Amino acid sequence: MNERRFKHQSIAGVGLGLRSSHYQEVFNTQPDVPWFELLSDNYMAEGGLPILRAEKIREDYPITLHGVGMSLGAADPLNIDYLSRLKALVNRLEPVYVSDHLAWVSTSAHYTHDLLPFPYTEFTLKHISERINQAQEFLGRELLVENPSSYLNFHATEMSEWEFIQGICKSTDCNLLIDINNIYVSAMNHGFDPYEYLSAIPADRVKEIHLAGYEKMEHYLFDTHGYQVHPPVWALYQAAIKRFGAIPTLIEWDTDIPDFTTLRAEALKAEMIMTEVA
Amino acid sequence: MTDDSLQSLEQLQALKQRTALEKLQALKKLQDDFYQAIFHPNEETIKQASTYIVGTDALTEEDRLSIYRDSILGGITAGLTGIFPVCVKLVGEKYFTHMVAGYLKEYPSGSPDLGNYGEHLPTYIAQFKPAKALVYLSDVAKLEWAWHQAFNAPDEHDLTVDSASSELEVESALKPVSKLKPLSELDHVAEDSFPDIRFKVVSSASLISSDYPVHHIWQVNQNDYEGGQSVSLDEGQAKLLVWRSADYGMRVDALNENEYRFIEGLLEGKTFGYIAEAAYPQALGEILQRCIQMGLIQSFSV
Repeated sequence: MNERRFKHQSIAGVGLGLRSSHYQEVFNTQPDVPWFELLSDNYMAEGGLPILRAEKIREDYPITLHGVGMSLGAADPLNIDYLSRLKALVNRLEPVYVSDHLAWVSTSAHYTHDLLPFPYTEFTLKHISERINQAQEFLGRELLVENPSSYLNFHATEMSEWEFIQGICKSTDCNLLIDINNIYVSAMNHGFDPYEYLSAIPADRVKEIHLAGYEKMEHYLFDTHGYQVHPPVWALYQAAIKRFGAIPTLIEWDTDIPDFTTLRAEALKAEMIMTEVA
Repeated sequence: MTDDSLQSLEQLQALKQRTALEKLQALKKLQDDFYQAIFHPNEETIKQASTYIVGTDALTEEDRLSIYRDSILGGITAGLTGIFPVCVKLVGEKYFTHMVAGYLKEYPSGSPDLGNYGEHLPTYIAQFKPAKALVYLSDVAKLEWAWHQAFNAPDEHDLTVDSASSELEVESALKPVSKLKPLSELDHVAEDSFPDIRFKVVSSASLISSDYPVHHIWQVNQNDYEGGQSVSLDEGQAKLLVWRSADYGMRVDALNENEYRFIEGLLEGKTFGYIAEAAYPQALGEILQRCIQMGLIQSFSV
């Protein structure tokens, strides 16, 4: 590996998703947070204040980069311009992990900026495996791929999401970011057993875990990332830590972002589970 | 292997390739149909996208599409609200959301980065009939977009003579542009070359010219503003420079006519001589001095 600029090059414990409203607090108080996750798509400009702030954070904390722009599940070719900019960002910030989702966000070069589902088939398994391999080759490093939450099934689907993830792990050497909240949301929306899902995930591939809050709607759970983590998700998290070990875990909060104290209280709960179970 | 079996192997491979291509096209069609049902919802597009989806009694195919539509429009509207907070304040959230839905149809997002989306919102607002009475709204949106651009603009390279030559050589290899030099090099420019100097304005800078007092409108709608809320449109036009200074951070400067023309000339890449001939030679030296002192101009080429 090339010479590294930053001293922190690994993550452990419970990190926080860093949002712009928290920067000042982090700069002022230097909180004792083991690591931060930054949304790569917010730092893709070649300069500007966001990247300067991110670099300042990076001096003191290990970080991971998490994106939604790669559109791994799209039929469109991979966006090389996006990957180039991501690569430049990776070189600049030296994240411990770089992750994106099993989803598509664009079609015919038009972006939806949201994670959309695709049918799980032998063809899409091959197609997406190839794209993961291409992206990893281009970036010159491994990716973590995250399970999305979903609100629909396709007639064309031939396998379960966990079978699809098993297939991805067989045909690529990418690792996994398992979102416990997403598993629970999809399980409730589609009527499968979240524990069965969890037990089917190749444990040696899981490098990061996400936790977040959903919103209960009349007929489904909606993954807003705008609430505290709900009790059944904590229970599933416990099972995950039991199975995977003390995997670095992130509290994600994207809408109605609370103050930093509330975020840290959530992290503390996760830490307690991690220490108790692992 | 016989010729026959070779031939059938080739046929099999060709068939496999064709099938893969067909499957890729089928995936593309599914995604395009889905996109249409989200951004251009009507009976036909929704019906088409529904054919792929498993519906249930509790949630029909159409309900499930709506969950995604609300999520997508909500996310994009939140992104644009972050870039255009004053416009949202001026028209209200509901109205803004409605406007965004129309904007999305006409100007789809072409970048994975949501922060790149919104450039054409001022144009859309200007021709958005229901907002016609808010004559200043489009220009306020221009000001907010300029602010957003300046916030995210690349930082000025600290040009030493060495870095100036190495960093910019690539560019000058493509275009016959002369090298950028730091202002400290001005002393070495021969006097008869002065008219050929091109001063470079920092890359975060953009100009706004409006018939309405958009700066004042923008100011009174900032969260930390303490003062009277009323703005009279009779206050008249605004000529503004939006930029980011290394020393002072984000800035909106009100300009007079001379300053505006001068900076406009620089942004268009005109030489000092050209600008001086075009207008206002008497004020030029003073304006240039001010631009340099503020840090708006940090380099030049000859």
